Amino acid sequence: MRGRGLVHLAARNLRSDLRGALLNGAATCAGAAALVFFVALGLGVGAAARRMFPGEARLVEVVPSSIALGEVLGGGRLDGDALARLRALPAVADAWPKANLRVPVTATRPPEGLAVSWPPSLVVQIPGVGVPRALVAQDLAPGAPFEDPGGGGAMPIVLSRRLVEIYNRTIAASWNVRRLPPAPALVGLQVPVRVGWSMVPQKTEDRVYDGRLVLSGFSDRVPVYAAALPLELVLRLNREYGKPELGYSAVTLLAARPDDVPQVMAAVRRMGFAVDEGERATAERVGAAVAVTTGALALLALLMCALAALAIAQSLFASVRARVRDIAILEAVGATAADVRALLIAEAGLTGLAGGAAGTLLARVAALAADAALRRVLPDLPFRPETVFAFPAWTWALGVAVAVLASVAGALAPAAAAARIDPARNLS
Amino acid sequence: MIALRGVVKRFRDGDERLTVLDGVDLDVAEGELVAIVGASGSGKSTLLYVTGALDADFEGEATVAGRSLRALSPDGRAAFRNAEVGFVFQAFNLLPALTALDNVCLPAFFRGDGRPASRGEREATGRAALARVGLEAKAAKKPAQLSGGERQRVAIARALFAEPRVLLADEPTGNLDAATGAAIIAIFEELAAAGLAIVVATHEERVSRIAARVLHLAGGRLA
Repeated sequence: MRGRGLVHLAARNLRSDLRGALLNGAATCAGAAALVFFVALGLGVGAAARRMFPGEARLVEVVPSSIALGEVLGGGRLDGDALARLRALPAVADAWPKANLRVPVTATRPPEGLAVSWPPSLVVQIPGVGVPRALVAQDLAPGAPFEDPGGGGAMPIVLSRRLVEIYNRTIAASWNVRRLPPAPALVGLQVPVRVGWSMVPQKTEDRVYDGRLVLSGFSDRVPVYAAALPLELVLRLNREYGKPELGYSAVTLLAARPDDVPQVMAAVRRMGFAVDEGERATAERVGAAVAVTTGALALLALLMCALAALAIAQSLFASVRARVRDIAILEAVGATAADVRALLIAEAGLTGLAGGAAGTLLARVAALAADAALRRVLPDLPFRPETVFAFPAWTWALGVAVAVLASVAGALAPAAAAARIDPARNLS
Repeated sequence: MIALRGVVKRFRDGDERLTVLDGVDLDVAEGELVAIVGASGSGKSTLLYVTGALDADFEGEATVAGRSLRALSPDGRAAFRNAEVGFVFQAFNLLPALTALDNVCLPAFFRGDGRPASRGEREATGRAALARVGLEAKAAKKPAQLSGGERQRVAIARALFAEPRVLLADEPTGNLDAATGAAIIAIFEELAAAGLAIVVATHEERVSRIAARVLHLAGGRLA
């Protein structure tokens, strides 16, 4: 017996004992709901944490060591030689140098073409860091420039993706000014600036000229506190303004694989350089905490599913005892032992299917309620997620599959017992 | 159609072994209705179960519808019961969760030839079987909504569903009043006339009256 006939008979049997079927379904529903809820919570919190700390697993940020001993070991200054040696390290796929812009660049007027409130006395000094095009190439808007335009041209910049979020949720909110549109809409924006002019008078250079910045894209690979400019532009400005040659401020290494990162970090330290682990360490701690908590809660939910399987086993054993004659009748009209097993397992499977679907739906509803409660409780801080849950399609499948598996597992022993029923002893 | 030779069936009752059938020989031809009479506990039901391949634990030879029952595997016996034999029981033995039509169609769900019947095909055959016992109008009723006589007619329709060559009935009128029982007996008479080999275990004289042969089962032997 298979296919629709099996489902037809199983459904009829379930309907005849609706109370038992509902109780079994409720057990699997609770297990599936808990599992899907906790897994979705883990995924959602993980996604929120990644948005807050978007570090790439393969990137290692090398900075000059603050300990003078580094120079004895060959480290210390991040110059061209050091860059070449870092690039030659085993398991390093690429190395991108960064240099701080040491010439003040200040905006005294609002960006052109953007309706923002700009108080007349407001000046914003923009910290800059030079990065090679290759570091941000993947994040540049199509056709957007990222080269040194030479004297007089608009200077391309790339900003951190998090900057818009921070501006909107802090500065705009506290000053009660207009929020910025989503990041992609800002690409191409031009900001008039004064190069060489500082809001601290003593820091203003002898030569000051008007220029403009043009926004070429947003990236998670640039610092949140600075605008990234083409490296050659920064080196030229530092040179033109007579800044002493201090080497690179940092070098970003790309490990061949995420698993290679510890090895690369160890090699960097042996060379006498330091690794800026600030965000990476935070992201790893948050990620580990989320993974451990999610794992523990998912385990608890799986335990609930196992308990549901036991409840179903107990219920089906009772059902088989009550249906001995019915099963004997099936055997009298031609059911094999395999048919009887299949029928019991199909009944459990259908119960699990319904319970799993209901449980998954329940988890979704509970998640909506939890999100609504969190929105009321949490202040509107940067990176506050709209939801702390994530329901990719596989979580729906997971809820149903685990419920069906728990039900079927619970039905195996009762089904085997049913298949052993002797019709000759139970029909008279 | 039915040939039993030296069939012996023993049961274990604690340390004691009871011999219920003790070398039974029985021949039933196509279109013949044979009544087996005997006291309660004389082994009438056991004889039917052995003949219908519900009980495989016996000694001797049993050939039914051309098949040697001892040579059949458990799945082979199930397929044999599905296709070659129809059972009718005193207690009707209908599934309470199913409608009359679904009860009648039950054998279709377990066809041994691996060819699943379509729903339409299954229900058409089921309705024809119900029509044969005059119950087509009650197809959608559950057993609890039917009278005793109607339930037994549904059971007969189920037994006829696969168009078997052998019908085995165990006290088919035992739970029915006289008039209803007479109607059931009339159906058996018609079926025998249509060519079915029928064995009826009974202790009722009215059944015996229409049988071609009446055999007495006593002390484990047929006479």
